[in-house]
Amino acid sequence: MLVDFELIERAQKGDAVAFNEIVLAYRKRILGQITRLISRPEDVEDVAQEVFVRLYFSLDQLRTAQVFEPWLYRLTSNAAYDYLRKQKRRQEFRMSDLSEQQVLMADATAGGKVEHEEQHQKKVRESVDALLGAVSDADRILLVQKEVEGLSLKELEKIYKVNENALKVRLFRARQRVLKAFGASEKK
Amino acid sequence: MYPMRDSNDEKLDALFRAYRAACPDRDPSANFMPELWKRIESRQTFTFSFRRMASAFVTAAVALTIAMGIYMAIPHSNPNMPQSYVEALAEARPLDTPDYVAPARLDLSETGR
Repeated sequence: MLVDFELIERAQKGDAVAFNEIVLAYRKRILGQITRLISRPEDVEDVAQEVFVRLYFSLDQLRTAQVFEPWLYRLTSNAAYDYLRKQKRRQEFRMSDLSEQQVLMADATAGGKVEHEEQHQKKVRESVDALLGAVSDADRILLVQKEVEGLSLKELEKIYKVNENALKVRLFRARQRVLKAFGASEKK
Repeated sequence: MYPMRDSNDEKLDALFRAYRAACPDRDPSANFMPELWKRIESRQTFTFSFRRMASAFVTAAVALTIAMGIYMAIPHSNPNMPQSYVEALAEARPLDTPDYVAPARLDLSETGR
């Protein structure tokens, strides 16, 4: 825990200063998690703010301060999930508006501006983003939390309140789909 | 957790590790906190006005229900108003102008032959 239970209880009673302290303690971690969940650095702050807004308005529903972190994780997952769903709709519209040549030109221009290391990181982000497109948004979030964030099954069980075996099956299937997409991209 | 791992599994794990490195925890911009409080306040205003509107609507509905209840409970003694269905019917169709007739009787006997 990055904050005391007492601070959370104060925030639950409507103490704005306590809430501010919680945000200051967790914002860096949440920003990192969202970056890895959505793969688009430009929208990370927006989604993170949405997480904290939801936290502010739902804090009174938190029964005990001990479950604060899994609760915050769930809010983060939900906000990322909502973003991914919206983004998918927007992207379909945006890409359909551009011709293939325009898309290639936009990619080339963007590539010319960034430095070598940044370009490599961007490529990695895009590859993983494309691979994760093989699974549903919900499975994508679950897989990233397990494989990239390194959360254990026990932690995931606490966050989603789902039985461990059900989680295992879901993760296994999601990984198999991603592996299949990975194998196909390797052959190209 | 994942049985039967092959070389693609190893490569995928390596890609996930590279992805983790490509997306490190990051510091927020200077505008993060002011923007956050602005969002909270705007949603609070919206929630507050919505709640106020909802409670005003509920109050109005309760007042209307009570008023209707009282109105229905008071007996109406208006002499111009018919008291019952039968009376209303009687008023609309007075007995001196019945619009039904008795069945016709035909006299089939051959009289006067």
